[in-house]
Amino acid sequence: MVDQSMEQMVRQMRRGLERTPLSRRGFMWASAMSASAAFLAACSSGGGASSAPSAAASEAASTAPSEAASVEPSQALESLGPEPSFVVPPNIESELFMYNWGDYVDPNNMKLFQDVYGVKKFTYDVFSNNDEMMAKFQGGATGQWDICCPTMNYLPAMRDQGFLSKLDKSLIPNLKYVDAAFKGKYWDPTDEYSAPKDWGTTGITVRTKDVKEPVTTWREFLDLIPKYSGKVVFVDSADDVFIAPLKANGYSLNSDVKEELDKAREELLKVAPHLLALDSDQYNTKIETEEAVLGLTWTGGILELRDKPKTADVVYTIPADGTVFWLDTWVVLADPPHPIAANAWINFIHEPHIQAIETETNRYATPDSAAKQFIDPKLLADPALFVADDVVAKLEPQKDNSGIQQRQDIWAEFKSKIGQG
Amino acid sequence: MTASTEVAPVRRARPRRSVRSGLLTGLLVLPASAWYLILLVAPLVIVVIMSFGTKSRFGGYDPGFTLANYGDALDPDRVSPFVTSISLAIGGTVLCLLAALPIAYFIATRGGSRKSMLVVLLIVPFWTSFLIRTYAWLTILGPDGVGGFVGGVVGDPSFRILGTPGAVLLGVVYGYLPLMVFPIYVTMERMDRTLIEASKDLGAGRWATFRQVTLPITATGLITGSILVFIPLMGEYVIPAILGYGRVFLIGNQLVLQFLESRNWPQGAARAVVLIAIMLVSVVFYLWFANRGRRVREVSVL
Repeated sequence: MVDQSMEQMVRQMRRGLERTPLSRRGFMWASAMSASAAFLAACSSGGGASSAPSAAASEAASTAPSEAASVEPSQALESLGPEPSFVVPPNIESELFMYNWGDYVDPNNMKLFQDVYGVKKFTYDVFSNNDEMMAKFQGGATGQWDICCPTMNYLPAMRDQGFLSKLDKSLIPNLKYVDAAFKGKYWDPTDEYSAPKDWGTTGITVRTKDVKEPVTTWREFLDLIPKYSGKVVFVDSADDVFIAPLKANGYSLNSDVKEELDKAREELLKVAPHLLALDSDQYNTKIETEEAVLGLTWTGGILELRDKPKTADVVYTIPADGTVFWLDTWVVLADPPHPIAANAWINFIHEPHIQAIETETNRYATPDSAAKQFIDPKLLADPALFVADDVVAKLEPQKDNSGIQQRQDIWAEFKSKIGQG
Repeated sequence: MTASTEVAPVRRARPRRSVRSGLLTGLLVLPASAWYLILLVAPLVIVVIMSFGTKSRFGGYDPGFTLANYGDALDPDRVSPFVTSISLAIGGTVLCLLAALPIAYFIATRGGSRKSMLVVLLIVPFWTSFLIRTYAWLTILGPDGVGGFVGGVVGDPSFRILGTPGAVLLGVVYGYLPLMVFPIYVTMERMDRTLIEASKDLGAGRWATFRQVTLPITATGLITGSILVFIPLMGEYVIPAILGYGRVFLIGNQLVLQFLESRNWPQGAARAVVLIAIMLVSVVFYLWFANRGRRVREVSVL
């Protein structure tokens, strides 16, 4: 646990350094938040000493900046347009325990939620992939957190094992903003257990400065890898890596057919020696430093690279032979310590203004069309983020393939052969 | 008669005292043995039981009895992580030993008044998280650091240090060195200096003194240090994942994959049992080998 939070800290530090100049809205948030940051700093520095001056300092800090912190966010919101309505449920708990992917919620939104809903303690624990999260609950971690963000293909198994609570929809009126395309799907046919968070694709990242060949399909991608041996990075995720060999051969990315998986194994073992790394956390850094010039990646951290002059040649492509559609979802866990706060959070995050800020921070597509009017038009026009309709038609939803032993065996074999020979 | 009555109470007192001391001993040993039972023996038993089970529908563990997990663990096509782990553990231990010996020797014999300061300096890195220190190597060895510099000097733009076994070995030696230095330092520190003088008086040179006096006396420190480094190294997985880019795939990484990714706990448990067996055998062999050498020397001294 300690190691994970440390890893998380490092990642945040790195991201903080790499973050592109603040957007208009980001700047307003930042100025509102810098006051509370100053307050925190004053508190922590005052807490260490015990003499009279420090008492005076902390007193000063607790009056002036905290006032600023509670006033300025709403001012910032006003300037964005109509005031969003936050309905604070009566008898809401003063704590919320979240178990989520790293860096996956805008910190200012978390702060605003705390201020508006009076949630004093907001913990944010981190998992690095769905299986790790699942392993935690199978190990008996139920009741430890209120809210979690599994990818949709893990929902059925979580529901069947009793890890989830039903949503309290009377507390989440904002679900009305969710597009019909995300309702009644296989992962939650009755929409009782989950609300969509954001969605995205897995695709090909290319440094066009170094790779001159066109790469528009998985076939071309796999064939190019030996040429750029030692300069290729894949995300460390079995489901995503299987997409390339399966789609390149025209199979379903959820295939469980032995012959098709045999073919996928052959293709994967062929490229394994040429990979620089399997890396879910730092793949964008490797692309940025040109350690890797080709990548099988998510969009996270990649889209920002295109905004920097040094890395403007980075291109993210959704392969023409089709790729995965993934959706992360908000769920309330079984036996939540703070059920009302958990449902209130889901309602809060689906408020269109808040949703727009989430999209701008995380750079994943929102499932709420109502939020789009508040999103930076430049982001809306990005085909890598808000995918064109004809491309959407080629996306295939990720299913739960964890029960297919052959896939597990191939994955283990592939992982042990990375960079070997 | 009187003599026997005098003796009798003494006889009776003896068992009473031994009962009391037995109780006391039991009480004192209780925390340690409870710790040992709950945190070592019980989990070990669970792992062994689990290794014979099967994966449940959703991953995790279903009770059962099958040897398939061991078959998979010992499959010749899949033992390469064991081999990589053993060779890295041996290489890392030897390098740690070679690096630690001069450091410990220097601090113990030439430290003087700065001795405690030097020891503190060895501990200072522990104040920072191990993970952050390992991440720091990413910057140091990366394309903007030593890796890029060496590449520039050699004239090979694709040269890199990160993601090679060398980087992993470096990270390992860096991380585990203090574990080796301290035991060696302690034995050298406690060593009776007059023995060295005696050796010199008897005409032995510096090297001969080191080889025939210092080294045998510090052998306990060397053995302790080696075991302290070797055992955690066999289970290492963070350093290869970060500095090795996952290109150095150890048994620790395999265990993470099976427990956290495939969620095939029985298969992972079987590998864990095999790993424990390998460590037991190698440590027992090592101790036997090390002690055998010493016994021979004692005999020759006699």
